[in-house]
Amino acid sequence: MSTTETYEAATARLEEIIRRLDSGEAGLRETLELCQEGRGLVEFCAGELDAVGRGLEELRLDELVARLEQRPASAPADA
Amino acid sequence: MSAQPRPEGIEGSRLAGPFPVGAYAEKLREELRKRARVQLFGEVWNLRVSKAKVYFELRDGDGAVPCAMWRDAFERLGLAPGILSDGSQVVVAGGPDYYPGSRTSSPSFSFDVTGLRIAGEGDLLAQLEALRRTLAAQGLFEPQKALARPALPRCIGVVTGEGGKARDDVLAGLRRRGWAGRLVWAFAPVQDRHAAPRITRALQDLAAVEEVEVIVVARGGGSLADLFAFCDETLCRTVAMIRVPVIASVGHHTDRTLIDDVAAVSCSTPTHAAESAVPCHPLEARTSLARCAASLEAHGRRAVVGRARHLAALSRAPAQAIERHRTALHQRLRELRASARRRIAEDRERVARRGVVLARKTAAAAGPETQARRAALDGLASALAAHDPERTVARGYAIVDDGAGGVVTSAAQAGRLRDVRLFFGDGRADAEIKDIVIHEDPEEGA
Repeated sequence: MSTTETYEAATARLEEIIRRLDSGEAGLRETLELCQEGRGLVEFCAGELDAVGRGLEELRLDELVARLEQRPASAPADA
Repeated sequence: MSAQPRPEGIEGSRLAGPFPVGAYAEKLREELRKRARVQLFGEVWNLRVSKAKVYFELRDGDGAVPCAMWRDAFERLGLAPGILSDGSQVVVAGGPDYYPGSRTSSPSFSFDVTGLRIAGEGDLLAQLEALRRTLAAQGLFEPQKALARPALPRCIGVVTGEGGKARDDVLAGLRRRGWAGRLVWAFAPVQDRHAAPRITRALQDLAAVEEVEVIVVARGGGSLADLFAFCDETLCRTVAMIRVPVIASVGHHTDRTLIDDVAAVSCSTPTHAAESAVPCHPLEARTSLARCAASLEAHGRRAVVGRARHLAALSRAPAQAIERHRTALHQRLRELRASARRRIAEDRERVARRGVVLARKTAAAAGPETQARRAALDGLASALAAHDPERTVARGYAIVDDGAGGVVTSAAQAGRLRDVRLFFGDGRADAEIKDIVIHEDPEEGA
């Protein structure tokens, strides 16, 4: 999965995969490859949904800026 | 008013006093009322009519004066309903007045209007329209609309008044959407001359934070004058240049401020603005995603398990497969034979039906000739019957036989034979001739 993947691009590709599988035209090898790719996309989308479902976090802008300034440069973006 | 001991003044100050504030307020009112009565002109904003008074602000580009007019004086003007509204340009007559207030009521300054005349269309509205046209001509309404908006932002920035109802509405909208990510508030005044620069700054600060993916600017309803901060040229140009999508919800749905034109999306309420910031409904998306996952699993399982079962069946019992094919072939053969028999029977029946029809047609065609032949045949049969000796015998005659099969036809012949046989209808009698009598033939005798 690309790190620049967006939720809307992932869901669009997922729908495309389901359409192809539903058509019954995919052979065994293609079916298995599509299923594997689809599972990865489902995982990514579920992660995105989890990120906006953990609980509403309210911050004032100055609090956020202070928090960002304290973060070490090497820390991951969503730490 | 109770007499209070006068406190000491501020040390070092040369100013007179200290005086009791009520006395000073009263003096101030007297001084203001002494000022010359004048006429002012400007635009009416924030018009509101109470039971006793009509209040509004008189504005132009450089300043504003709060005005008040007694309701009965206003009624006497006889203005058509609705002709005086926000943006109307008027000339007013009167002078400054000051209400000193009291221990329980607030003081207020206003221009006491004693006369009013409608002077024409409001200039501020015209300026607003001119600015709208300029921004449109410079293409500043387009950049925000071209920005891609995330379907499911993790972080949303909101610019609004800290104590306003819009703040609660935004929260309610996000909760209704089922969204529970990170919300960053950038509070700013949303109504006065300081508002526009503060809102501009808040927008710039939010846009500078990388994780903010979309910004909502929200403010509740009010008069157009209250919303004027959102028509500020610098603010609108800032919004147009920001690389983060801005969703505007300013005033009621009937109001149209300039920020509504430059923003990516303009919504009628802060609640809708919040919902627009999250185009994808997280709860529905979760259901849809579960459906996709189930479908993927089903396809994967069918593809592998189905083929595995087929292979196992083939390897386990090839003879059974052949037998199955043989049975199927036999069945097919039986069906073919039955079908052929059915067809032959049908053909036979069809031919028979056709024969009958043809015979009928032939008979009909040859009718008169056949009838004539049949009549002739009937005639011959009748004639034959008439000569049938058996029929004669049946009427009481008998045939005389000479005993050797010859017919005796005369008495003379019978006399010579003596023994004859007589044939009747029901049998034979042998007879002996005793005597004969020969009739005389008259012609022979002649």
